[in-house]
This record gives sequence, C-alpha cells and structure tokens, in this order.
Amino acid sequence: MPFIQLIKANTRMEFIEMKRYLPNTLSMIGTIYIIFLGMLLGINIIGDPAQAEANIQHVIVNYIFWYLTLVTLTNIGFTITMEATRGTLEQLYMSPLGMWKILLSRLIGYIALHGVIVVGLLYLSMATANQWLYLKPDLTLTILLITLVGIVGVGFMIAGASVIFKQIQAFMQILQFILAALAFVPLSVAPFLILAPFVKGVDMIRHVMIQGYSWTDFTAMDYTALIVNSVVYLFIGIFFYLKCEKIAMSKGLLGNY
Amino acid sequence: MEEILIEVKGLKKGYKKRKTKEWVQAVDGVEFTVKRGEILGLLGPNGAGKTTTIKMICGLIVPDEGEVVINGITMQKNRLKGLEHISAVLEGNRNLYWRLTARENLEYFAGNRGKSRKEKMGEIEELLKEFKLKQKENELVSNLSRGMQQKLALAVALLADSDVILLDEPTLGLDIETGYEVRQLLKKISEAGKTIIISTHDMPVVQDLCERTVIINNGKVIADEKVEELMNLFETSAYVLTLGNELTEQQQKELDAKFPMNELLDGTKLTITLEQDNDIYDLMDLLKKENTIIEKIDRTTINFEEVFMNLIQEEKSHAIHSIN
Repeated sequence: MPFIQLIKANTRMEFIEMKRYLPNTLSMIGTIYIIFLGMLLGINIIGDPAQAEANIQHVIVNYIFWYLTLVTLTNIGFTITMEATRGTLEQLYMSPLGMWKILLSRLIGYIALHGVIVVGLLYLSMATANQWLYLKPDLTLTILLITLVGIVGVGFMIAGASVIFKQIQAFMQILQFILAALAFVPLSVAPFLILAPFVKGVDMIRHVMIQGYSWTDFTAMDYTALIVNSVVYLFIGIFFYLKCEKIAMSKGLLGNY
Repeated sequence: MEEILIEVKGLKKGYKKRKTKEWVQAVDGVEFTVKRGEILGLLGPNGAGKTTTIKMICGLIVPDEGEVVINGITMQKNRLKGLEHISAVLEGNRNLYWRLTARENLEYFAGNRGKSRKEKMGEIEELLKEFKLKQKENELVSNLSRGMQQKLALAVALLADSDVILLDEPTLGLDIETGYEVRQLLKKISEAGKTIIISTHDMPVVQDLCERTVIINNGKVIADEKVEELMNLFETSAYVLTLGNELTEQQQKELDAKFPMNELLDGTKLTITLEQDNDIYDLMDLLKKENTIIEKIDRTTINFEEVFMNLIQEEKSHAIHSIN
C-alpha cells in the first residue's frame, strides 16, 4: 500500500536524522530523563508530603501531554519551514500521493520515535526513583493516541500558515504558553474547554493516573466527546491546510523562503 | 501519427511585486505541445518566464488562465493524478537531502512516491552504477561534488518511472567535463523513450540534445521550431562581409538603425543577420554610398547561441520599432 510505504520511508528518514544529529538527540534524551527524575524526586521534597503522590502524577501527566502536544503541533509547520530552507519543499510537492500525506507520515514517524523515547525514559526514571505511577498502558495509550489525532489537526492548521508565511517562529513561542495553560487547567474548572483541542484527553488521562479510573469508569459520553473532538479538529486542520496550499500555489509562494 | 503527451494551452500568470506593488505579467499566453519521446528545450533570457512555465506544468503554480494537459489529465483539475506522469529536477542539487547518503536519498524519494525499498532495490543498484555513483553510495550528499549531486538529482527523478521529466538548468554550475557527462546521461535517458523538457541557458545542451525548442521572451513564445530548422533559417540569413576600408560614423549609425543584428570586428569584419532576403540590396546601397570596398562575402556558420541571441535581439528591435 503506497501510504504504508510513505510512512515507512518517512519514519526511516526521521530515524536516520536522529542518528546523524546524535549530540542533539542525546541531549534531548538526557534533558527529558532529568526532568522526569526531577519531578519524581523533587516534588517529594518540595511539596506537602501528604499530597506528594497526587502531585507527582499530576505534574508528570501534564508534562508528557505538554511535550507530546508541542512536538506534534510544531512538527508539521517546522517541517515545512525546514524543507523550504533546504530547497526540497517543491520536490516533496511533486509526489503524486500529496504533500499532506507526506507531512502526516513524517509526523507519524516522529511521534512514534519520540513516543518510544518518552515512554522508555518514563519507565527508566520510575525505576531509578523507585516510584511507580498508575500507568495502565492500554487505556492511557488509547486515550493519548485519540487525543493526538486532534492535535495533528491543529498541527495542520499551523502547517497551512507555514506554507504561506514560512516564518512562524514568533507565533510558536506564544503557542507554547497557550498549550501549557490548556494542559494544566482541569476541565472541572473550565468546562467550556471541552471544545478546545486535547483538553478532554488530558483530563481523562489525569483521571486514570491520579484517581485510578479504568475503561468502565468513563461514560460513553466521555469517549464520544474525546473522539468527536479529535476527528473534527483533524478534518478542519487538513481542510485548512489544503486551502492554504491552494493559496500558496496561486500566489507562487511554495518555493519562496 | 506521433502522440502528443503534453499540451500547454494559453498559460498566463501575473504577480504583484512585493516592494513596488507593480504588476508583472510573468507568463503571457504561452502555448506549445510536446510529443511522446521528444526532448524540448525551453529557452529564454533571465526573467523571461521559463521557470514559472515549468512550475505551472508541474502544478506547483496555478495559472491565472490556461491549462496544462499531460497524458489526457488536466493538471489544474487533477494535479495528483497528473503528477504520476511527471518527475522534475527543479533546483538541481538543492533538491536533495544533504544529511542523507546518496543511496538513502534514492530510497527516500522512492518511498515518497509510495514504492517500497525492496521493490526499487534493483533499479537503485542499476542507477547507482549507470550514474557512476556506486562508489559513493554511502557518502553523505554534502560530501559529494556538485557534479555528483546533480547526477544524483537526475537519478532521483528517473526513479519515479514517469513519462515526463522536467529539468530546470540541469548543467548549471558544472565544469565542462561533468556538464558533458550529464549531457550524455540525458541522451541515454531520452533514448529510453522518456519525454524531457529542459529549461536552460546552456546552448550546447540544446544543440546537442533537443529536437525542438520553444523560446520565451517577456512571457511570450517568440519561437517554436525544430532546432535544425532554426539553425538553417539563421544560417541562410547571416553573412560575414570582409571590408576593404572602415565604415564612416554615419554609415555605422545607419547600419545600427537598419540592421540591429550586426557586429563589427576589427573595423572591417562585419557579421550581419538579415531579416529578409531583399535586405542584402539595402546593405549594398548603404556600403556603396561611402564607397566602402567589399572584399569578400561569406555565409556564416552559426551556432545555436547566435540563433538564440538573434531571436532575442530581433524581438527587442521589434518592440522598439513598435514603440516608435
């Protein structure tokens, strides 16, 4: 199947780039490990000992979500900027499979590799600190993946802006703070945030990891809200991206940087 | 009857300049056709509209008017389907990933067209050998010479198995030896039945490879002829006159006004291209007026570069005449 080959090729490409830029990859791994370890050990020391466990769970869940959301959101836009700088962007647009599929497969490869690294590091730091979180991988990963689908949609919106403007770094910096706010605010405090991307997902995972929720503790409404939110954002994102692509092609902006 | 593979119909594209907001008509009604298996040279001075035309053929730029039909598929209606029939080298060595090796680049771009590494393994091996890149297959592209990078970019385009290959300046920046090598490769590619459109400034490439050429100036097609016919056309109207004495200032002025495509070397060797056969009599009158002695008249042997320059200058002089 062509799309599977596309995913394979782009995952391999991401992996090769991680190897080629090894110092950068190692420093990223080191940083995440230290952050996890710091969270697991530090909050015990700083916070109220009675609530230490809940606090650790809360902060780590939020951090992982913030991190994965950030890399997912910025990856597609960053890929476009990077390819335009290299001069390979137009070459990618020559693929009969369509640029959005290339971007999606590049992102799938990127998330898969980063996901493995983050989860591995989380287990490693839990083993190092001898503190174990209620991870429930089946449920957590399912919710995380569905949530990421919606985030990919928002990523495509950013990519659409990148195709036209190319330089969107300033916006990305502001976006980091918006994302942090969304990841850290519980849905119970601001219920309207259910309409925002990924907030429902973070909230559900928080329930799993902090209150020990299982599959049956969530209502059908919870799952529906999660899936509908993600699917709607994905479709809007791709639609917006394709519109921007059309504008860029009409104005002859694809090759510009 | 030879099958027409590409139809470029009345393409128009304009831009507003970013700083001055001035409207520029980059491409103004360009149309031509390309037959299957043909090598077409797309020529024109800088800013003539060649690259914009090439990008409209690829579907990377949407025309304001007109359309491109490739193998019966209208690019403006079904771009992705059309792209199954085209591959391109648009920015030469910049089209490659410099942090990947030669082989990794080939594998990646094959994957980007939905092909598996396994499926393309044999073809990649063959291309690496044919393009003399086998020894450097595991070398990062950034460490390859410009010529090798250019050859690799060509190999990537070939790996797409498309009917049409579009090449924008394939020999730009190459030394004579590598330029020749790339030309030989292009010849081989064309012999394999691929349809090629080459946009270039490199006249030996056109003379050597292209059967037909479309010359664009100011966004318009000013010539669409077989290379051989263009050469014949200009060969028969170009003369070299060896004069016995130098021209007067007045004669020189009249000569420039009447025959803008002239060149005087050492004051006595006049190369001139005449627009019409009868112009030879006017030229004789002009020389006779000041008793200029004509020692010898020869037909020139012309190369394609001169043909191109004559066409562009002719176009300029027409533009000046129409303004006057």
